[in-house]
Amino acid sequence: MAMRQTPLTCSGHTRPVVDLAFSGITPYGYFLISACKDGKPMLRQGDTGDWIGTFLGHKGAVWGATLNKDATKAATAAADFTAKVWDAVSGDELMTLAHKHIVKTVDFTQDSNYLLTGGQDKLLRIYDLNKPEAEPKEISGHTSGIKKALWCSEDKQILSADDKTVRLWDHATMTEVKSLNFNMSVSSMEYIPEGEILVITYGRSIAFHSAVSLDPIKSFEAPATINSASLHPEKEFLVAGGEDFKLYKYDYNSGEELESYKGHFGPIHCVRFSPDGELYASGSEDGTLRLWQTVVGKTYGLWKCVLPEEDSGELAKPKIGFPETTEEELEEIASENSDCIYSSTPDVKA
Amino acid sequence: MQTPVTIPVPVLRLPRGPDGFSRGFAPDGRRAPLKPEVPQIQECPIAQESLESQEQQARAALRERYLRSLLAMVGRQVSFTLHESVHVAAHFGATDLDVANFYVSQLQTPIGVQAEALLRCSDIISYTFKP
Repeated sequence: MAMRQTPLTCSGHTRPVVDLAFSGITPYGYFLISACKDGKPMLRQGDTGDWIGTFLGHKGAVWGATLNKDATKAATAAADFTAKVWDAVSGDELMTLAHKHIVKTVDFTQDSNYLLTGGQDKLLRIYDLNKPEAEPKEISGHTSGIKKALWCSEDKQILSADDKTVRLWDHATMTEVKSLNFNMSVSSMEYIPEGEILVITYGRSIAFHSAVSLDPIKSFEAPATINSASLHPEKEFLVAGGEDFKLYKYDYNSGEELESYKGHFGPIHCVRFSPDGELYASGSEDGTLRLWQTVVGKTYGLWKCVLPEEDSGELAKPKIGFPETTEEELEEIASENSDCIYSSTPDVKA
Repeated sequence: MQTPVTIPVPVLRLPRGPDGFSRGFAPDGRRAPLKPEVPQIQECPIAQESLESQEQQARAALRERYLRSLLAMVGRQVSFTLHESVHVAAHFGATDLDVANFYVSQLQTPIGVQAEALLRCSDIISYTFKP
């Protein structure tokens, strides 16, 4: 029997989710941070979506959020003109880095010693996290607000995107190496270290470029305006989401659309594969994050595949008789939203 | 429609949401026990499994009852007892997924009637209504 995707909805945010990031794989698993216009970024367990904690302190919408590789630190970029660095284990605020305008993007180096920020003041800033009092190094050149800034090439270079350009900078000399121009607004950028691939979305296009030379590799067109896309770690698939509320999964090699999912109630702003590639997370205008299986029906995280022979019946269907609801109605409820029929854990207050 | 018959992938439970009263980061939480190498889903002894499944069924039944009570409340006049002996009444509209906020209308407060409001559930001590 064919299996239907059951997305896992992570609730808790009260405004649109505009950015999300996974950590690397740590001995404790991997983690997920979400940036939200409600100003309260949240840390979650990456494979289950379970809430771990909320970073409290920003006084405005949080536009960007990231975790360092071992998920010991988090960084956030907000509309209150600050970027903040947090202890991701205790939730405490470690540093507040004042800027002159809305901060949109933050990124740690691999060794977590430096933080890159960018925002509406059109400057890239590099903070030495071991010397928080020192002034950051600044790189100017962008002519419109910076939407995304990322370390690349083992932190020797920086990639940054503003409205219509993507630029490559050399870290040591702080000078521009190359740039790409677009005639449509760049909506997102993702950097894949293995293979040095850059994923850029603009309009309905999902484009792949070399992160070293910025030369184009390939691009696909989606049925609707795409706001974010992510390439699977093994580079077999990519996922993308945008203004039509749907998530699309494509074969990276052939460009064939493999799957598409409805489920969100608003445009999708961000989508990322987990570091092990087993799931992808999407953040939406509807205030939720959803986790989706890469291979539908595989047992992983909270998804438990029950094969017909070993079916104890308990997990697939509730054992209690629901007098008012028939099996069909339960299936309906369990379809795209699939939230309603499964009881939640006892520590949820009633 | 020619969609093939499909069943949704079963899930153990939904992701846990915020607890509504703290910022989280429990000290003995995620960092304390290292993940075991082998997933331990299959190995439960039978007795423990049936006790757990009984508990789970009880939780499910209680949860269903509570959700139906919320449905029954929609559109009705509800009296809320809040902290510091504050009492308000309102027409109940809806709750959000985590039951963290109640959406109400015509909220009667000591300082006037609010046409639409969100009541934070962590502020509510109890509420009562007549179906």
